[in-house]
Amino acid sequence: MARTIRVATDVGGTFTDLLVFETDEATGEASVRTAKTDTTSPRYEEGVFDVMAKAGVAADAVGFLAHGTTVVINALTERTGVSVGLVTTEGFRDTLEIARGNRPDFFNLHYEKPEPFVPRRLRRELPGRMDYHGNELRPLDLAPLPGIVADFRAEGVEAVAICFLHAYANPAHEQAALATLERLWPEVSAISSHQITREWREYERTSTTVLSAYVQPVAERYLQRLDAGLAARDFAGGLYIMQSNCGVDSVDTVSRVPITMVESGPASGVWGAAELGRLIGEPNVLALDIGGTTAKCSLIEDARVRIKTDYWIGRTRASAGYPIMVPVVDLVEIGNGGGSIAWVDDYGKLRVGPRSAGAVPGPAAYGRGGTEATTTDANLWLGRINRDYFCGGEVEADMDAVEKAIEAVGARLGVDADEAARGIVRIANNNMVNALKLVSVNRGFDPRDFTLIAFGGGGAMHAAALAQELGVAKVVVPADASVFSAWGMMMSDLRRDDVLTLLVDLNAENADAIEAAFGETEERARARFAAEGIEASAVTLARFGRFRYQNQEHTTEVPLEGGPVTADRIAAIEAAFHETYEREYTYRLAAPVEMVGLHVVARVEIGKLAMTRRTATGRPAGEAQKGVRTVDYALEGLREAAIYDGAGLEPGMAFAGPAIVEDSGTTVVVHPGSRAEVDGFGNIHIHIANRAERQ
Amino acid sequence: MTAKTAKTTMTNDPITLEIIQNSLQSAADEMFAAMKKTAMSSIIYEVLDMGTGITDAKGEIACSGAGIPAFVGVLDKAVTVIVEKFAAPGAVEPGDVFVTNDPYYGGVTHLNDIVVVMPVFAEGRIIAWTANIAHNSDVGGMAPGSLTGEATEIFQEGLRLPAVKMIARGEPIQPVLEIITVNSRMPDVLEGDVWAAIASVRIGTARLEEIAEKYGAATFEQAMAAFMDYGERVSRTELAKLPRGTFALTEEQDDGQLFNVSITIGEDEFVVDLRDNPDQASGPVNTSRDGVMVAAQMIFKSLTDPYSPCNAGSFRPIRLLTREGSVFHAKEPAPVGFYYEIDLRAYDVMWRCLAQHMPERLAAGHFASVCGTFIGGIHPDTGRQYTIIEPQLGGWGGREGIDGNNAMFCGFHGETFNCPAEINEARNGLYVDQMALNLEPGGEGAFTGGRGIVMDYRVRADDGYLTVGYTRSKHPAWALDGGNEGSPNYVEFIPREGERQRFAFVSGLKTRKDDVIRVVTGNGGGFGDPGRREPERVRRDVSNGLISAERAREVYGVTIDSDDGRTA
Repeated sequence: MARTIRVATDVGGTFTDLLVFETDEATGEASVRTAKTDTTSPRYEEGVFDVMAKAGVAADAVGFLAHGTTVVINALTERTGVSVGLVTTEGFRDTLEIARGNRPDFFNLHYEKPEPFVPRRLRRELPGRMDYHGNELRPLDLAPLPGIVADFRAEGVEAVAICFLHAYANPAHEQAALATLERLWPEVSAISSHQITREWREYERTSTTVLSAYVQPVAERYLQRLDAGLAARDFAGGLYIMQSNCGVDSVDTVSRVPITMVESGPASGVWGAAELGRLIGEPNVLALDIGGTTAKCSLIEDARVRIKTDYWIGRTRASAGYPIMVPVVDLVEIGNGGGSIAWVDDYGKLRVGPRSAGAVPGPAAYGRGGTEATTTDANLWLGRINRDYFCGGEVEADMDAVEKAIEAVGARLGVDADEAARGIVRIANNNMVNALKLVSVNRGFDPRDFTLIAFGGGGAMHAAALAQELGVAKVVVPADASVFSAWGMMMSDLRRDDVLTLLVDLNAENADAIEAAFGETEERARARFAAEGIEASAVTLARFGRFRYQNQEHTTEVPLEGGPVTADRIAAIEAAFHETYEREYTYRLAAPVEMVGLHVVARVEIGKLAMTRRTATGRPAGEAQKGVRTVDYALEGLREAAIYDGAGLEPGMAFAGPAIVEDSGTTVVVHPGSRAEVDGFGNIHIHIANRAERQ
Repeated sequence: MTAKTAKTTMTNDPITLEIIQNSLQSAADEMFAAMKKTAMSSIIYEVLDMGTGITDAKGEIACSGAGIPAFVGVLDKAVTVIVEKFAAPGAVEPGDVFVTNDPYYGGVTHLNDIVVVMPVFAEGRIIAWTANIAHNSDVGGMAPGSLTGEATEIFQEGLRLPAVKMIARGEPIQPVLEIITVNSRMPDVLEGDVWAAIASVRIGTARLEEIAEKYGAATFEQAMAAFMDYGERVSRTELAKLPRGTFALTEEQDDGQLFNVSITIGEDEFVVDLRDNPDQASGPVNTSRDGVMVAAQMIFKSLTDPYSPCNAGSFRPIRLLTREGSVFHAKEPAPVGFYYEIDLRAYDVMWRCLAQHMPERLAAGHFASVCGTFIGGIHPDTGRQYTIIEPQLGGWGGREGIDGNNAMFCGFHGETFNCPAEINEARNGLYVDQMALNLEPGGEGAFTGGRGIVMDYRVRADDGYLTVGYTRSKHPAWALDGGNEGSPNYVEFIPREGERQRFAFVSGLKTRKDDVIRVVTGNGGGFGDPGRREPERVRRDVSNGLISAERAREVYGVTIDSDDGRTA
């Protein structure tokens, strides 16, 4: 009877996904179910209850529920947050509006600067000043605060953000202002910058605090409704919310600083790739997630995801966007998914994306009035996607519409439809190759040392071609690739990242100061967990230092393993920095090294899923073969490909390309010369043929 | 050898060419990212006063890394000089790296900008060049930071590097590197920045060699040529949409000189005539012909298609006429330290000349000065020398339907970031007491000019210095269609003891503890009669504290009952 039910629900823009693992704790055997319903904006929690009902999951039987939601990013991009008032340091009222003054679209003289989230009349100042060491230069004067509160109330402000200069070094003024504000106006939602980040750069920190305040009431209400709805359904398990740092956290913690959920969707996919890599013995992974409108990629080295704090929303070639300084998994996202539209510019150049056909009208093949060719249409036209099994057989592909759309592209290029479709796939692949290079080659990593894990609806369709281009030897397509993000969530730990700006020369004299800063940060992390009833022994801590050569600005993060920082370890730490730096930038300097910040990762295991390997039955892959069809592989031309039914594949089965695997949520393209095999967890491993083998 | 022969065949496949072109762009971007992350001068890593580029074998620009638009068309000139100078067989070998910083040797700008250039070889020949330009904090000369209004010859502005080899077959030529560093007041920083530039061109070269290896040199070259032809096609198509004719303008400058421009837009030519202009100055307010060519290219690109890729082809329709010995075509050894203000004047006068005839394409004038601000001294906490070299933010002009942007860098800048006060205070020996929008009158209109800024630097120790060179200080940003002109750019120096001073040009002014350097940049020009401004916009300006209720009534004729913006 010892069965554990683990559920992950992922609320996306269009669909709410659910993944259930029901595990027999004695044998480790698990049954897996997935379900999908429409997302119910703006009451997203209804969709969660719907999808649980659809899958027949009784809330009272669930032991562990991981939840990811787009509620924060939607509130930001759709501007549905609340009216925010900002309290800041005297002389810096306009920081939020001045921003950094950059103009990415630099030949465009009609550039429009992004509108600040708080208008000038709601940005107010208090006298008081710290310096960059955290010493008080002038005391904080709270006398104007009651007047500011009265004005904010009159203006209908619902949330207050407080951000003072150098609060990363000493938060005392922010703490005092926050305490007074909460006394003067207990019912307002309030947050100060040091509660979110302890890093310098006042515009970025102010923006982060303002955006957090902007979404806080919305996110808090949502989480409360979710929590209450689950309680009403007698849910008694642990509820964990996915974060942007690849970990989960409790509802209470997330409710206080909900901005940390901003990129939780992509983060869970990247984490899934890291966990899958660990499971199958591939610590070095390129994670690729291709959805309907975008492709996202991230690099995992030695089973470690890279977490950064320089994230921006709405930042494009045409807009400076808005910075959010919270720990977010390091990823590159491009406007290139299955629904991306192919077009020919005024001067005869073929382009794919970033505009997407979205869910409505969708690709031409949906037959919902879409007239523009998308990547999906090109894949259908080339026979890569089965026109008779489109969207798992749920949609009848409108091939007339596809033909018209692709011919229109071809006419503008002066080529036939086949050539146009091949062009679309090649350009889309090239866009994705460049994105994958940004996370690998651009950071000094050779993609040939990595395994590509491809998921999302479109990952498996393009992964093998990208791997060939990059020299990657192996592609892994996970079982249930289309709900892989939900699986990643289920594999997450409770995780908190603390980043602190600390500017000291890296030398033996400062070893004690560095150790003290790490010690305090770690102690704060432990104390927070302790307050939630989690024992210190359950907390795993990892340290990273951020270093640079003196006079530089940008830093390189280096893991610091091996215990406390002591005077005699400084040389080894410095050597590790030089090595990391040189790999990334091709040279090293004899210049003195500065430490600019520290990063502490605190993790607690919360009983995540343990996967069990199934044994091979010995049945040949031929038993899963549905037939043969002509597939256009673009660069390798037309080939007769064996078609396999994904549902029929079993551990141990192996087959050679050219082949196609059709699953309900995805299509796996195996190129000529490549070999595929199914592992004990149902993942498909594709061994990529090198150039000679493909001829 | 058959494989190689096969490789050199050209392709007819447009998708392959396009994939190579995309890869060129990502290589230029990668070079840019590498430089930005490794540089030691804040003017490089924050201000991004730098650019990267890829040219063809002859030196025609194929592709640029994002930085500032004023550096897009700079790098080809340096490569061209190197190609000519090292034309002998074997003079250029794989792994070589060249360096120039001299506008009389392809450097275009001023001596602070060091250009590093590296050949790309494939199948035994040069198929391309990678190049990098960045502003270095100090290259010697008569004043710290190398820039001074006192210079009367280029020799006083720093070390001149006349397009020489710095690395031979991958091995640094140590004497050259030592000469470069020993001439700087900040040798460590200079060395770090030069190595960052070398890393950048090496990364670019490696990437291009991989592409050529994969597709073959001939296909690679064909892709580059096709890319430039594409640029030209875009420009010619858009040029045909511009109104034809000859447009002329004369504009008085802050120093009383008159600058003249005449632009003729023809069927397939864009002719900029700057010949009728004053003789070169004795001070460093001159520029090279290449410099004003870059200004003409920028205006042309913005007018035609600002969004498409920008390369040598894009600029083919431009014809520039200058007179050697004039401020816009200085002759050696004229000093050129503040060249950028002169290029910017040429740019702004072209903009203004055309805006009246095509206001749908060009807004009213912006503060139009780099407002280069140089502050130095000893950091009291570390005892180390610090040098700030910063451009400033200012207001942009209004246009029909849209108020101008507040607080952006001038048109010569692009993906440039200002220095955060928190970093400024840690790195430099001063406090930033305020950083606010400039609320001075100016730029009123149906659509207002954006606001400039007011920024106070308070100096923390004695024995510092200040150098600035701002233009548009007497004649502020120009208006369009009946709007009001903007407000001036200037510095107000507020010493702890003594008289306040206001100026736009100063060199090596001594500063002492607790002196305040107040930078004030102009509001942009207004567009349209202020009486036409929608009352709702006026109310919003009042409620946001940008103008008083009284001025709302005076300038816009809108009555508001209190400064809270609640309308009567």
